[in-house]
Amino acid sequence: MTSSENSNVILEADKIHAWFGSHEAVKGVSLSAVMGTVTALIGPSGCGKSTFIRTLNRLHEEIPHTRVEGQVILEGKNIYERGVDPVGVRRKIGMVFQKPNPFPSMSIFENVAAGLRLAGISKRSLLAEVVEQSLKQAALFEEVKDKLKAPGTSLSGGQQQRLCIARALAVKPPVLLMDEPTSALDPISTAKIEELVMELKKDVTVVMVTHNMQQAARISDKTAFFLMGELIEWGDTSQVFTTPKVEKTEQYITGRFG
Amino acid sequence: MDDKAPRPSGGSGPSGTTFVRMIRKQTPQPRWGGRRYTRARLSLSDVKRRWVSRFGVFFLYCLTFLAVTPLLGIFIYIVNKGIPGLNRDFFVSLPKPVGETGGGMGNAIVGSGILVSLTSIIGVPWGILLGVYLSEYASSRLARWLRQCIDQLSSIPSIVIGLFAYAMIVVWTKHFSAWAGTFALLIILVPIVARTTEEILKLVPQHIREAGLALGIPRWNVTLFIVLKGVRGGVMTGVILGIARIMGETAPLIFTAFNNQYGFSGLNQPTASLPVQLYTYAISPFEEWHQQAWTGALVLVGIVLALNVISRILFKKSEVRRD
Amino acid sequence: MSTLWQKDIHRGDRLFQFVLRACAIAAMVLLLFMVVNLGYRSWPAFKVFGLKFFVSSDWDPVNDQFGVVSFVYGTLVSSALALLIAVPVSVGSALCLTELAPRRISAVLGFLIEMLAAIPSVVYGLWGIFVLAPLMRETVQPFLGKYLGWIPLFSGPAYGVGMLTAGILLAIMIIPTILSISREVFFAIPRAQREAALALGATRFETLWIAVVKSSVSGLFGASVLGLARAFGETMAVTMVIGNRAEVAVSLFAPGQTMASVIANEYAEATTDIHLAALGAVGVTLFLVSWLINSTARAIVSRSERRGGAGGR
Repeated sequence: MTSSENSNVILEADKIHAWFGSHEAVKGVSLSAVMGTVTALIGPSGCGKSTFIRTLNRLHEEIPHTRVEGQVILEGKNIYERGVDPVGVRRKIGMVFQKPNPFPSMSIFENVAAGLRLAGISKRSLLAEVVEQSLKQAALFEEVKDKLKAPGTSLSGGQQQRLCIARALAVKPPVLLMDEPTSALDPISTAKIEELVMELKKDVTVVMVTHNMQQAARISDKTAFFLMGELIEWGDTSQVFTTPKVEKTEQYITGRFG
Repeated sequence: MDDKAPRPSGGSGPSGTTFVRMIRKQTPQPRWGGRRYTRARLSLSDVKRRWVSRFGVFFLYCLTFLAVTPLLGIFIYIVNKGIPGLNRDFFVSLPKPVGETGGGMGNAIVGSGILVSLTSIIGVPWGILLGVYLSEYASSRLARWLRQCIDQLSSIPSIVIGLFAYAMIVVWTKHFSAWAGTFALLIILVPIVARTTEEILKLVPQHIREAGLALGIPRWNVTLFIVLKGVRGGVMTGVILGIARIMGETAPLIFTAFNNQYGFSGLNQPTASLPVQLYTYAISPFEEWHQQAWTGALVLVGIVLALNVISRILFKKSEVRRD
Repeated sequence: MSTLWQKDIHRGDRLFQFVLRACAIAAMVLLLFMVVNLGYRSWPAFKVFGLKFFVSSDWDPVNDQFGVVSFVYGTLVSSALALLIAVPVSVGSALCLTELAPRRISAVLGFLIEMLAAIPSVVYGLWGIFVLAPLMRETVQPFLGKYLGWIPLFSGPAYGVGMLTAGILLAIMIIPTILSISREVFFAIPRAQREAALALGATRFETLWIAVVKSSVSGLFGASVLGLARAFGETMAVTMVIGNRAEVAVSLFAPGQTMASVIANEYAEATTDIHLAALGAVGVTLFLVSWLINSTARAIVSRSERRGGAGGR
């Protein structure tokens, strides 16, 4: 497909196939993400977009009886190559999930610091600095600065999601995957997160699954349309939404199915 | 672990390598400003972390082995040791005096059967009714008190329950009897049946009760013939588990039903039971009795496990699975 | 309003409720009466020996001297020992079975272990007498004595039966209990949490630790307490392997006696009234101690649940 005409490609998926047992959920998808952009994956539910995004940080394989084929190239290295530790891959690629999932046993501070602690950083001052920086990046700091010791689960849904974003950002990943990050949230929290994503993209490349076409149109630079496990069309968001090349894309965008 | 990861088939194709080379050259460093602590620190500690993880996982497998081995060992031992003594005599004969070969645990098997059936006949309806009361009239003060009592009762050690029964029945009638044993077993069975019945009735959605009431069916009728009948499989599960439990109880019977080498001779007389007989034989110094004890253990375990399996099947079949 | 209500419906309901209430009241009165009755039967022991009953370790039925200390000690030490062994083993294997082992193996083992939890304690006791005790006497205790004998806990002759054997047998008995509850606790943790840890770049083991173990502390505590309660009240198996000697010995190899085992051993054969009363008093003590443990544990669990679950949606 239209691969790297841009030299700033940071993440490149090449002919990714993913299976659940014998069911092939993703059928040979190739896609690349350019540094400092937001790529939105859209498509009807069950079209494989969530599965696809989970192959990008090797999370798909954590589900029993699943399989992945193809390669994902991050900063010039195939993460599916023999000998690559998926743990290291996941440190470089942050992820935010559909439902906010802060660790219930940890405070707000500890939630954000979790990734750093895993990386062996235990110096209190450094941790405090990075936690504050990450919470600010996630536009949450002002709201929680007086209760960093409170449990992460005591926040509201939207705040919890921003906490999860801060947690993912704390280890400074070059890429951030978001799997329908606003589907469990109210419109106001959704707007906050959208704003945040646009702000974030200057530091981190975002690949985001969304079920909401308006959201894709609002915040993404590139849009990829998935259908039945296949990548139907991929290009600049404005082009995909205004002059789609494939008929199915047009039908989907104009609401004729899905 | 990472070695469970599926082996990707790609990665060696020509297009792959070109990609890699191309992108490696072109990819600029991420634009994160500030400290550059991440990479250096990570690579050092990563090796250690990977080994800690591998060792940890290995350790957990070891613990599993440690947990499972003795349990399975016990099971295999009982089967092995018990089978040689398993014959017709064991089930129908009375014990022979020490020194004579042969004999069986007929008295104990009959005694256990009598104790358990007597307890079930009284205890099962009582327990179910208590469970119904707890769930359908849950808010009344009496029900709250009752729940407290039942909770406490199920945490009392079974030997203390034997003491209760002794103080109530044996002291009063002046001798050990099947009734005293039954009384002790009742105190164990009733709370189990009551609690499981309550738990299962709580799973019945409120709208089923309302549907019945809206049809003008009286409440007692709705409770017994719509609500309770609908979950009878689940209730039976609790009942059978309770029966399996009292089947193996020894401590409350030692000084209530006591023992009887001569076969069943009336509910007012001391009565043998499988667990007590097994205990008596196990701590005796005689070789023949030890063999009988092993066979007794095999029979007892067989009955208890069979009851457990039946209850499981019933529960699977019943309508109240919680998933 | 009564015109709409048929009279016999009313009557049926009232009768039903009456029967239910009668069952409930009967159960409670019976329980109350039992407790009072046992207290009454054992009162002479408290009256004769007073506070001495609780501070003396002298238990001599022949000379009518009764003190409960050695039994309390035996119960506490054997249960603590059992818990010390059983908690790590069962929690670890529950983790392994839910998170690591292939699903089919885990299902089979889980089923087997739940079945083993149903085996009557007298059967464990039988195995303890004929398999575990000889093993302890011939192999384990000599080995421990040789290498750790300088610690008082592992000194003295190897009888086979004794506190250590009882503790190990109890541990084996409570492993299925703790293991199955821990398994349920782990099963209840949502996948999303494990994925959150994985996505942060945690290794398999770190994921288990931060996403699974850390958030189930109160559940695991509850599981352990249930195990402790079972160990505490366990009678037959302990009676059969603890050696039944009323003394407080430092060595774990030495025989001992628990509150439950002394009752099981002596009650049916006790002849004097004061001996019966003293045994009854031991029962009352056991009842009170296990009641105390249970209610404390319940309070702790419910408090930690309230704290941990605060606003946890």
